[in-house]
Amino acid sequence: MAGKGARKLFIKGLWEDNPVFRQILGICSALAVTNLLENTLIMGLSLIFVTSLSNVTVSILRQVTPSRIRMMVQTLIIASYVIIVDILLKAYLPDISEALGPYVGLIITNCIIMGRCEAFARSNPVWPSFLDGLASGLGYALVLLTVAFFRELLGFGSVFNIPVLPAEWTRWTIMVMPPGAFFMLGIVIWLVRSLGPKPAPKADARG
Amino acid sequence: MIGKRAFSVAYMLLLTLGFTSAVTLVYGVNEERIERNARLKLQKIVLDVLNVPVPFPSQPLNVIEVFEDRVRIHILNGQPIYMALSEDRRDIQGYAFRMSGAGVWGPIHGMMAVSRDLDRVLGVAFLDHSETPGLGGRISEEGFRNQFKGQPLPPARIKDATYFRVHPQATVRSPNEIDAITGATGTSNAVERMVNGALNRYLPFLAKLRLEQEELTP
Amino acid sequence: MDLGISAFVIFFAAIFTNNILLTNFLGMCSFLAISREVRSSIGLGLAVVFVMTWTSAINYIVYYYILEPFNLVHFRFIVFIIVIAAFVQLVEMVIERYSPVLYVILGVFLPLITVNCAILGVCLFMIIREYTFLQSVAYGAGGGIGWMLAIVAMGGIRQRLAKAPIPKPLEGPGITLIIAGLMALAFIGFGGMIQIQ
Repeated sequence: MAGKGARKLFIKGLWEDNPVFRQILGICSALAVTNLLENTLIMGLSLIFVTSLSNVTVSILRQVTPSRIRMMVQTLIIASYVIIVDILLKAYLPDISEALGPYVGLIITNCIIMGRCEAFARSNPVWPSFLDGLASGLGYALVLLTVAFFRELLGFGSVFNIPVLPAEWTRWTIMVMPPGAFFMLGIVIWLVRSLGPKPAPKADARG
Repeated sequence: MIGKRAFSVAYMLLLTLGFTSAVTLVYGVNEERIERNARLKLQKIVLDVLNVPVPFPSQPLNVIEVFEDRVRIHILNGQPIYMALSEDRRDIQGYAFRMSGAGVWGPIHGMMAVSRDLDRVLGVAFLDHSETPGLGGRISEEGFRNQFKGQPLPPARIKDATYFRVHPQATVRSPNEIDAITGATGTSNAVERMVNGALNRYLPFLAKLRLEQEELTP
Repeated sequence: MDLGISAFVIFFAAIFTNNILLTNFLGMCSFLAISREVRSSIGLGLAVVFVMTWTSAINYIVYYYILEPFNLVHFRFIVFIIVIAAFVQLVEMVIERYSPVLYVILGVFLPLITVNCAILGVCLFMIIREYTFLQSVAYGAGGGIGWMLAIVAMGGIRQRLAKAPIPKPLEGPGITLIIAGLMALAFIGFGGMIQIQ
């Protein structure tokens, strides 16, 4: 696939069709793990891994899979990759695995992955599906990192566990508690949507 | 219709078989490593609370070496008590035991160590917990745990004594008061209960054990 | 490890102090999508309560009597999801057959529930927290009711807001999240009500 097409796909996943602030998907984990940048990064990478590989697998199998059971098949594929990520984290990054806890398992129900499989991977060839998964995962990760940046900075005064703000500055602890997560994400969505309405759908919609 | 149905079922079964085999493979390859990680973690924590220095903490072999050299295990009511040998290997330097309690999000499992004469806390550490990362989760950090290090323990063993109390940050006055974590009151209170519970449970036994051991060493 | 917490306390805590939506962020996608009005919120909420209670019970049995004894614990994600999906299918079939009325109210929502992270989340949490069977069922029931409480409250608020002058970029998910934040803030106030230990 030509470089230009790939770039278009990427920009779509990152901005126009960003899974979090445009499609409003994958919110559960966006709220839960974003109080520390380190955890958010690992979560984002895990999701990119699962989304791209699931997309690829669904795409490979797309001509053989009976339409009736495609949701079950997708769930099986996604769950398998998530388990693999869970095992690998436990084996190689045990501390982070503990910090993320059950939220790694919850990647399975993350609507983004199922959404991309349904909307794109089951009717597109392998390489574009891979790029689409990559782009959606990246779009998700970037939004989460932004939210996490502000939550960690304001709530703990640190960035990636490195103290940045002076000790005298009063921490806005509410930012790292659930209400802070809701507010922060709401504000991000507000800002992004003010920056420009979603462009009108083009005639040659892909997928 | 039946042909299609049968195909769907067969396809699903085949796929399930395929993917579960893949997962089982990945698990099999990594199973030992995961268990090793868990064992290593326990050993590291035991050595840490007992204040036994490890020259190369990032090297697993070194940790295991020091552990086998300096730590002895005594089983009490089915629970292990870890005893650290002193540097000259002739006496006990401290006792470490497990502590557990119900946290805000799930059970908290940890270890606590007291000095040989049961008059000081050597340290506390946490094995696992499900507390909020960045909030309750910060109990694992050195800053919080170090508050317990070196704290005195009163000699009188009253039933259900409160050895430590958790207080809001910056209001701590006496040595047995601990700074809570702001925004993690539930978790901080859970730690208070855990620590007091473990001390109440183990100190009487350790006192008896200590007497027995003193009779053995000249 | 029986932590000695009464199942009743867990039940109430799951609704108020540890509300699975406002504290654990579970079930957000359908929450944001369906909470526009009270009627559909009640429908989805009831469906969630029913499925959550039963699947926590079933998954408890599956985990402790099948997965653990056969050393298959690392498959719990797949198995739990299959159980949930199968249960929802079953319920949908039963309702469609025996109660068209109920089907009209609940049936539409059932497929949505399979991917509701709250159901899977509750099953995962009850394993992590090492609850007993009774505690798990209490947690499932309480969790469902807590989720329903949150979504119905949100439905009521959004219905009122439909006439309010909200800035366009904030409409929909933006304002819903901010309201959820305020609700979460309010629910923190319940914290002193229940000593979970």
